[in-house]
Amino acid sequence: MKVKKLFAIVLTTAMVLGLTACGDSAAGTAGAGTTGAETVSSDKTQALNVCLASEPATLDPALNSSVDGATMCLHLFSGIAKWEQDDAGNLVIVPDCAVELPEGVANEDGTMTYTYTLRDGLKWSDGQDVKASDFVYAWNRAAGPDLAADYGYMFEIVKGYSEMWEVKETGEVDEDGEPVVEYVNPDAKLAVEAPDDKTLVVTTTTNVPYWNELLAFPAYFPVREDVVANESWATDPSTYVGNGAYTMTAWDHNSLITLTKNENYVDADKVTMPQINFFLSDDANNMLTNFKNGDWQLIDDVPTNEIAALKEEYPDAFKITGQLGTYYVCWNINEDILPADSGLEGAEAEVARQEIRNAISLMFDRNYICESVAQGGQVPASSFVAMGLSDTDGKEFYENAGHNDGFVGYYDVSPEALQSNYDAAIETLKKYYTYDEDAKKFTNVPTLTYLYNTSEGHKAIAEYLQNALAGIGITMNLENQEWNTFLDTRKAGNFSIARNGWLGDYNDPISFLDMWTSASGNNDCQFGKGENEKVEAYSIDLTKYGYDTNVVNGTWAQTYDVVISDIKNCTDPVVRYELMHEAEDLLMSTGCICPLYYYTDLYMQDPELQGYFSSPLGYKYFMYCHY
Amino acid sequence: MNPKTLKYILKRVVLAIFTIWVVITLTFFIMHAVPGGPFVGEKAVTPQVQKAMEAKYGLDKPLFRQYLTYLNDVCHLRFGPSLKQRGRMVIDIIGDGLKTSAKLGVIAAAIATALGVILGSFAALRRNTILDRIIMVITTAFVSMPSFIMGSLLLVAFAVRTHIFPANGSTAAGLVLPIITLMLYPMSYITRLTRSSMLDVLGQDYIRTAKAKGVSRTNIIFKHALKNALIPVITYLGPELAYITTGSLVVEQIFAVPGIGRAFVNSITNRDYTLIMGTTIVLATFIVIMNLVSDIMYKVVDPRINLE
Repeated sequence: MKVKKLFAIVLTTAMVLGLTACGDSAAGTAGAGTTGAETVSSDKTQALNVCLASEPATLDPALNSSVDGATMCLHLFSGIAKWEQDDAGNLVIVPDCAVELPEGVANEDGTMTYTYTLRDGLKWSDGQDVKASDFVYAWNRAAGPDLAADYGYMFEIVKGYSEMWEVKETGEVDEDGEPVVEYVNPDAKLAVEAPDDKTLVVTTTTNVPYWNELLAFPAYFPVREDVVANESWATDPSTYVGNGAYTMTAWDHNSLITLTKNENYVDADKVTMPQINFFLSDDANNMLTNFKNGDWQLIDDVPTNEIAALKEEYPDAFKITGQLGTYYVCWNINEDILPADSGLEGAEAEVARQEIRNAISLMFDRNYICESVAQGGQVPASSFVAMGLSDTDGKEFYENAGHNDGFVGYYDVSPEALQSNYDAAIETLKKYYTYDEDAKKFTNVPTLTYLYNTSEGHKAIAEYLQNALAGIGITMNLENQEWNTFLDTRKAGNFSIARNGWLGDYNDPISFLDMWTSASGNNDCQFGKGENEKVEAYSIDLTKYGYDTNVVNGTWAQTYDVVISDIKNCTDPVVRYELMHEAEDLLMSTGCICPLYYYTDLYMQDPELQGYFSSPLGYKYFMYCHY
Repeated sequence: MNPKTLKYILKRVVLAIFTIWVVITLTFFIMHAVPGGPFVGEKAVTPQVQKAMEAKYGLDKPLFRQYLTYLNDVCHLRFGPSLKQRGRMVIDIIGDGLKTSAKLGVIAAAIATALGVILGSFAALRRNTILDRIIMVITTAFVSMPSFIMGSLLLVAFAVRTHIFPANGSTAAGLVLPIITLMLYPMSYITRLTRSSMLDVLGQDYIRTAKAKGVSRTNIIFKHALKNALIPVITYLGPELAYITTGSLVVEQIFAVPGIGRAFVNSITNRDYTLIMGTTIVLATFIVIMNLVSDIMYKVVDPRINLE
């Protein structure tokens, strides 16, 4: 009897739970369904359904460091300046919260002071007025150690930033034996002030050409002190207060974020799309299914194996745009690749290694990598600074790189040059290694190891590189590591060759160049670190630009670090760009960086959708979309 | 409840707490020994930012002190903020994940139990027929096939090739494939369990007696045989639910279901220390409790079992 009763209870409970769960899932369809049509309006003129990526780590504009998060932030906030498309379809920086973007006034000490007047009628989404002091608060918050945001360094240019982060040793050591440090100026603030509610005055350490672009960057968006006092403010629509074209009206975590037009927005009459639904998924197959059946109007990823078919099938919807980034292979400069009996040491050995690395870089068929391996419309790369960055002569920066006639960049990546590149590489390598003319192979190249993070795409490229080198007798073993471990290993320099990629932070070549200074945390090649710190093998002559620097056979710190610092302090745009070319020349001469391709952004867009554009940094703008 | 049972339960609860403490300690130190950290990204943050973040979350303290602080927090049920999803609390992330996982687990468990019992009984009653053989072959296959293979096969067949179901499990239709993947193993297991136990019961004297007395076949099966044959199945239900919720780790990853398993896996890839600890503790506690419940169920269902 007891058993029977128990059995009945268990079964009933199971059934009830089952039914409840079914009920939940049915209700869930409305909130999270693939059929976006059911959720909101089936009318795509009233609600745009897009899918960029999975759940963003944060939608706090100061903390965000992802491209998809930035896209959402710029719909939710409005900064001093913004990107817009002009009538000719070009992207321009225009004032947003400010009435205009005046030129800065140069001060005697070389700093620049900018004064902005805020427009009338600026409101937060809860109806309160936006004040200049909100910017002051937000910028200090985003830059300072309290928040310790990834993109805090975007305020490096603002006077007062370095004082904020200045530390001194207290003389004590912690339990790990590391010296304990403390901030010298715990109350330091940026040189940004609000003399009244409408005026914002900011002083920068120098005149940089990309200042207005910084003003349009999410880290520079305003936030209100009382709103962000709640640490979880940016995770829930009820506490999320912005000043942008949209307000967040729903956030179903890991599923959907809904933005609805903000009627308090000062330019609300220009905003044409009433609602935007950001579906949160990073599954390219799922995105494509939803795009194909018309539920989603823009998807930011497609399955690699479908690319060829999609180009045929959806010529109007399949889009490829440039992206400010380069996929490359990096060498550890401290890795000895010379044969054991080479007898070379110090600077001589480094010069030899430079030649070898540059020669190996010529062995790879970048067109094959782009067309047959990566398959995403990538562009073969012959320089490190990516395409999409303009130079002073109206061309793109990469077109002037290398200063070579007949081809762009530091080597010729055209299919016609493949054989001559190969021959040149073999000739160079013969100087250092034994070549077996019969087998057409080198016999004494030390075994290399290529490190990459676990992913099918990186693996396919690694295998191609391995094959290309195996053809001339160079053994390169492949080693893959899980993402976080990989980053740690690469940063610490515990590798010989590693996969790498870099996306620029702003539309200026310096964001590709200042990462290679001795002290930079992104200096994966280990320039000026370890053994390389003392190697005197680098030369640079800046006298023709009016600088004293003329180093022959100096260290990395004496050459590269100096030119980067000169660039940062240079106020003449023409000279500044020349200096950046000099820096890239020096960087590429080391052979430690072997660019493979420039990144592209692949997406599918409903061909009927009008008014959409994206910025060079990959940020997408949906507010002016219409049908 | 007699004092002996009570003593047994108390002993098991103490043991359970000890087990969870061991899990916390091991996870904590292993997690910190793994290379990488929560603030590492493709773009390195400046050393000052790194230091400031570590100070903010107490990661600059010696490891053992961090461990003691964490133990103290856990005793007060404070799981802290996520290190990666800034502004969100670990407990909220786990809550969101559990909702989805529980939905998945309960549906899968309910279907698996119902189908398993029916198929098992059929196989037993039609013993050594073609039907029995087919059921046995299929269930053997499902029992021996790991969920990641099953999941991948279903994904390729029904989502990638034919587009019958979405590949992404964040939607209702998308839950179909993960539920099937999850239920196949327990369903097959229950089928086999029911079959053998049913065969055992059908050979008992009291069934023969019932037959001799002229009781109808339906009555024999439902009133006398099934009831007793299900005892092992009932005791299996607890661990089964635990298996499904934790076993869904792999399945959630394959189908991109935003459940607790996926949150767990992502937290490890992100080195989101507080979230790793939070999910580990919740999952471990769940498994420990389920095992405890099933052991007690044995006793309740079959009083002859000596718990000592």
